[in-house]
Amino acid sequence: MLGKLALAGIKNRRRDYLVLLAGLTMSAAIFYMFANLATNRAFIKANAVVSQASFIFGFGAVLLILITVVYIMYANSFLLSMRQHDYGLFMMLGATRKRVGELVFLETLILGTIATAIGIVLGLLMSKFLVGFLLNMLGLHLAHLSAFYVPAIIATAVLYVGLFILASLFNLVRLTRTTVLKLLHSDELANQPKVKPFRQLVQGTLGIIFLAIGYWALAAIKVLQMTAIPLALVTITLGTYLLFRATILVVIRGLRRTAWAKKHLNGFLLGQLNFRVHNYTRMLTIVSLLFAMALGAITVGSGYHRQLPMMAKMIGTYSIAVHDKTPAEQKLMAQLHVSYSATYTQKRQGKTVYYNADEIAKQPVEQQRYKKSGQPEAHLYTQSLKAFKKSGTQDMDFMALALGKTGAYTPKILSAEQFAKQTGQTVTVTTIRVKDLQQDLQPLKQLSKLENKRFAPPAGMTVGSYQGYEVMNGFFGGLEFMGYFLGIAFLAMLASCLMFKILSGAPGDQRRYRMLYKVGVRQNLMRWGIAKEIGILFLIPGIMGVIDVLFGLQMFKPLMSAPMSPYLGIGSTFLIFIGLYVIYYLITLALYWRIVLPKTTTA
Amino acid sequence: MTTATTVVDVHGLEKTYGKANERQYKALKDINFSVAEGEFVGIMGASGSGKTTLLNMLSTLDTPTKGDVIVNGHDVTQMRGNQLADFRAQEVGFIFQDFNLLESLTAEENIGLPLALKGTASKIMDQAIHEVAETLSIADLLQKYPAELSGGQKQRVAAARAIVHHPSILMGDEPTGALDSTSARELLDLLTTINQKQAMSVLLVTHDPFSASFCQRILFIKDGQIGSELKRGNQDRAAFYQQILTELGTFNE
Repeated sequence: MLGKLALAGIKNRRRDYLVLLAGLTMSAAIFYMFANLATNRAFIKANAVVSQASFIFGFGAVLLILITVVYIMYANSFLLSMRQHDYGLFMMLGATRKRVGELVFLETLILGTIATAIGIVLGLLMSKFLVGFLLNMLGLHLAHLSAFYVPAIIATAVLYVGLFILASLFNLVRLTRTTVLKLLHSDELANQPKVKPFRQLVQGTLGIIFLAIGYWALAAIKVLQMTAIPLALVTITLGTYLLFRATILVVIRGLRRTAWAKKHLNGFLLGQLNFRVHNYTRMLTIVSLLFAMALGAITVGSGYHRQLPMMAKMIGTYSIAVHDKTPAEQKLMAQLHVSYSATYTQKRQGKTVYYNADEIAKQPVEQQRYKKSGQPEAHLYTQSLKAFKKSGTQDMDFMALALGKTGAYTPKILSAEQFAKQTGQTVTVTTIRVKDLQQDLQPLKQLSKLENKRFAPPAGMTVGSYQGYEVMNGFFGGLEFMGYFLGIAFLAMLASCLMFKILSGAPGDQRRYRMLYKVGVRQNLMRWGIAKEIGILFLIPGIMGVIDVLFGLQMFKPLMSAPMSPYLGIGSTFLIFIGLYVIYYLITLALYWRIVLPKTTTA
Repeated sequence: MTTATTVVDVHGLEKTYGKANERQYKALKDINFSVAEGEFVGIMGASGSGKTTLLNMLSTLDTPTKGDVIVNGHDVTQMRGNQLADFRAQEVGFIFQDFNLLESLTAEENIGLPLALKGTASKIMDQAIHEVAETLSIADLLQKYPAELSGGQKQRVAAARAIVHHPSILMGDEPTGALDSTSARELLDLLTTINQKQAMSVLLVTHDPFSASFCQRILFIKDGQIGSELKRGNQDRAAFYQQILTELGTFNE
């Protein structure tokens, strides 16, 4: 009978349960995807060119587990907040605590198991399609990546079911310790946190000091090596928490005294925030860190994505060299956006390749000059024929135009007459420098394929910046992918955390908005009030997260050496990321509106 | 007909619950009455008699199936959306059995809410809050949160919020229902004072004869219809109380 009642209770609130289930499922799916990457040793070995990659993955896994624990805690409290009134009712009707306890335990566990099962399946599908899509979009190839990986499934299942058993026990203890009356009137009582100026000041100062240490640790990663990350994580967490505790309340108190607070619902908004923010400090801290990590990861990923072509440009003076072009190649070459192009006739004899001086005079060879610091200069230059004959023939890029099985031919420049008499295998070579490597990736890829089929360069050698780009892409691609992947995973987790924490306060708010409705507050005003309130709760960790990222990117300076920079072009990445965050905000808001806003014309 | 001296005019009011093809329940049947300006009217009836439904119609929290409700010249039944909210915010003051104070706001902020909704300047607002707080002798409670107040104090704060914006009518839905007898008596005295000094019309819904005895006129409602009416006239409150008890005795038979 009680089971039936419980089921009926769930049915009545099936939309709320759907939200809960969807959130938990997503979380399990993300965890599976991550576990799939993190525990797949073959994959890491094949792709981790940077020695720290497996460390980063391990670290990420620990972090993700911690976040999952917090996440399930919030989801659980949301569940409990929805159910405690019903449980109280059951007890009032005479159900024993033991019986209700069993019910609570089972309900939590069943919900958790269902979510985990669906989540793993979803994670499998996501691994298959999303990861493939991401790799495709980034133009990457990662070896040994499979969607189905048994150890990852086991890890996800064990962690989630284990956590849900813990959550069920927690619910059990909490419910059996609360009196029936309290359960029936479980609406959250507003506690009013006290403001103590001295303590507040100490907290604020300590918070700033901790933050400073954390930011410094990130910037000094070269000195501190791997200790920098845990150190920064601890200090930034503490610093953020203390800073939030110290400042937010004071700001709200200050605002409450102004005339602005006495207009429309502003006072109500501040009152809500006042008793809310205090409870939210811990969660806001976690969320701001997650926000920073997600944004940081995506920024680094997209940094590599955008800046690899820039690096590659510096590798060669021309993008591609085509020998004895075929009609098919001719067609592809027509698609390129050419910045500079030159065609030379070669005569290969023994170990020497001969060039026609007339051709070189007419189409001088572009060369790269280096600054004293070893940095390449921004613009290419050309030499007169005379100067070129002296030094230019030793230019690596020029030598690479004629590669034999064992290495480069020695170039020699002959006058037109001598060249005509010279015997040897005649080859025409066309060098092309495109305006933007990124723009012409597709035709370049095909050209390079065709060219490699006919004239494969000796192992370890590349001809032109496109091939250089391909090599680097393989090298940094793992990092780039990890950046994007971790970023998306963290973002999804953080937003769900925030969503649940906020939604778990919704039932209590229902009553307050009902009162406002009775007092005669316009529906629109209430909508706006809620939008502002939730907006602020989203905004605080957002701002803190952006600041964290701006400092945190220092960490990648050693990895992204000039001409790359972790800060280059981060604006667009930030915009996209913030866009996603805003979408989460809107979803939360819509759900909140649905739960909280009183329906008109019902008493 | 509305004249300048009529605050509430109810004509042919009906309320049916349930859809046309389902089992229907008539909560109110052909209710007609009016409240004059400055009058203190009580509506009495047992649980389920329809008195709260009636109050919800008057205060626009619910819409009638049929009939007109005119409050201070506004035809409530014709209003929609924001008009309804604005009407409640400006024309009606409410006191509920369960106080309906916002526990995240101080007493002062709770009282100021109706004025804040109107967009009143903060200086005028402060003045109005302190005036009404003096009247209800809650000036020393203004900085406290509802959780720190007793039931009687809460209800006085709620009363202050109900009259701070000078509504045309004050409506109470069992306002003494959750109070002890001393607090209840104090509140009723307070309502009487407000009614007399500020000439504010009061409409009180109650099933408690003692509360009702503070009214000048009582409408008895039973099974969704007004059964009888009692006027206090020149009697003192105690005598009126006896009369109500007698009436209830016969009315409920």
